[in-house]
Amino acid sequence: MVLALRTASVVGFLLLWEWAARVPISFNFPSPWATLSALVALLGSGALVTATLTSIQSLALGFGAAVVLGVPLGLLMGVVRPVGRVARVYLDLLIALPTAALVPLVILSVGINVVSSAVIVFAFSAPFVAMNAYGGVRDVRPRLVEMARAFDASWPQLFVRIVLPSATPMILAGIRYALSRAFVGLIVAELLLSPFGLGRLIMSSRSMFEHDRMFATVLWTLLLSGTALAALARVEARLLRWRA
Amino acid sequence: MVAREAGVPVPAAGAVSIAIDGVSKAFGSVQALADVDVRVRAGEFLSLIGPSGCGKTTLLKIVAGLVPADRGRVTVGDRTVTGPGPECSVVFQDFALLPWSTVQKNVEFGLLLRGVSPGERAERAQRTIAKVGLAGFERAYPAQLSGGMQQRVGLARALAVSPRVLLMDEPFASIDEQTRRVFQDDLLSLWSEERKTVVLVTHSMEEAIYLSDRVVVLSPRPGRVHQVLEVPLPRPREGGDVRATAEFARLVDGLWKILRKLQ
Repeated sequence: MVLALRTASVVGFLLLWEWAARVPISFNFPSPWATLSALVALLGSGALVTATLTSIQSLALGFGAAVVLGVPLGLLMGVVRPVGRVARVYLDLLIALPTAALVPLVILSVGINVVSSAVIVFAFSAPFVAMNAYGGVRDVRPRLVEMARAFDASWPQLFVRIVLPSATPMILAGIRYALSRAFVGLIVAELLLSPFGLGRLIMSSRSMFEHDRMFATVLWTLLLSGTALAALARVEARLLRWRA
Repeated sequence: MVAREAGVPVPAAGAVSIAIDGVSKAFGSVQALADVDVRVRAGEFLSLIGPSGCGKTTLLKIVAGLVPADRGRVTVGDRTVTGPGPECSVVFQDFALLPWSTVQKNVEFGLLLRGVSPGERAERAQRTIAKVGLAGFERAYPAQLSGGMQQRVGLARALAVSPRVLLMDEPFASIDEQTRRVFQDDLLSLWSEERKTVVLVTHSMEEAIYLSDRVVVLSPRPGRVHQVLEVPLPRPREGGDVRATAEFARLVDGLWKILRKLQ
C-alpha cells in the first residue's frame, strides 16, 4: 500500500515535471528526460564526481565539527543551568539569523577555500545540534534521577547512566535535522563564494544557460542529502530500538 | 528457619530496625512533617497511611536519604541517615524503570552502580528476576510489559542489591485490582522467606491491614503520628481467605473510623 502510493507519487511528480517542461513555463525549462541524460553525462565526464568530493570535504568538516562541539555544548548547557540560560540566547539568535548573511564575514576572516564553506556549514547546523542536546537534558525524568540517587549513584554515574541515555533520542533528532541544514549551508556557501564544489557546478551551468546540467546537479545534491539522511535515520532506529 | 507463628516474626539475619526521632520537614512555608517519631522493628512489615498530603511519601524519602530532614534524626540499623545508603532499596509508584534498558539490565542497575562485576551482576539479576516471577522476560523492554510486570521489575531491582530495608512508595497504586492482589501475595511470600524490614506507604486501608504487622496513621498537614494500629492477623496470610474473615473486616473498619475523623 505504502509502496504503491510512493510509486504513484514519483510517477505523478515526473508527469507534472514533463508537462511543465512542455508548456513551457519558462525559457529552456528542462524535461525530466533531459535532466537525467545530463546527469549521466556529468557523472561520465567526472565533473560531478570531482565537485562532489570537494563539497563532501566541506560538509564533513563543518558538520563533523557541529556534532563534535554542539553535543557537548548542549549537554553542558543542560547540566549547568546558568550556562544554559546565557548560551541559549546566542543560539536563538544564530537560529533566527539569516545565516547566509554571514558569508561575506567568513570570506573576510577565512578567505575562500574548503574551510570557509565548512564554517558556513557549521554555522547552519551547529545551533540545532546544541539546542536539541540542551532540550534532551532538560527533558530527563526527575524520577529516574531520584531512583539512581536512591542507589547512591555518583555524579558521573548519574550523567552516564541517566542523563545521557535520556537525552539520546533528542540528540539524534537534532543531528539528523542539522544534517539537512548542513546540506543547505553547503550549497549556499558554494553558490555565494566558492570557485569549486557542487554549488559552483550549479552556478556555472546556469551562467552557460545549460539548465539541464543545472537541474541535474540539483537533483544529484538532493540524492546525496536524501541518502545521507536515510542512513542516519537507520542508525537512529537501531539505537532507539527500545522505543517499542 | 522461618517462624510462622502469629505475631512472632523472626527477622532475617541481617534485618535492621529503623528509628525516626522527632523528624520535621517544611517545603517553603508548608510544614509537611512535624515532630514525627516512629520505631520500625527489625524484620517488621510496617505501613504508613494518612490523608493525601500528610507527608507519608516525604517521610519515606527522608528514611531513604533522598530528602534531608529539617530537624530530628533517622537511624537505620546503627547508621544515622545523612544520604542514601546501601541498607535501603526504594520501590517507586511509577516504577522508575530505564526505558532504554532490558528487564535484565534494569534489575542489574543497582548492582552496576555499586560496582559489582558483570558476571555476578548477571547471575544475581537472573536469580531475582526468577524470584519475582519474570523468568523468560529478561530481554524484554519495559514498554513491552504490563504495569504489574513493570512493578515486578522495580521490585526485583530493589531486591537484587540484597537490601536490609525495603522502602515502598505506593507500589501498587498504578496496578489494577486483580493483578494487585496476586502481587501482594507474592510480596508476602517473598518477605516471609527473608523477613526484611519493610516500610510501605499506601492509601489503601485493605492493603495496609492485609500486609502489615503495624499500621502508622499520620494526621493531615503537618503530618504527625496520629495513632499506631497493631494488626494481629495470623501469618501466613497469602493465598488464604484472610480478607473474608470477620477479624479482617473489623480491622479495616477500625482503620476507616480513625481516618474518617482525620479527613
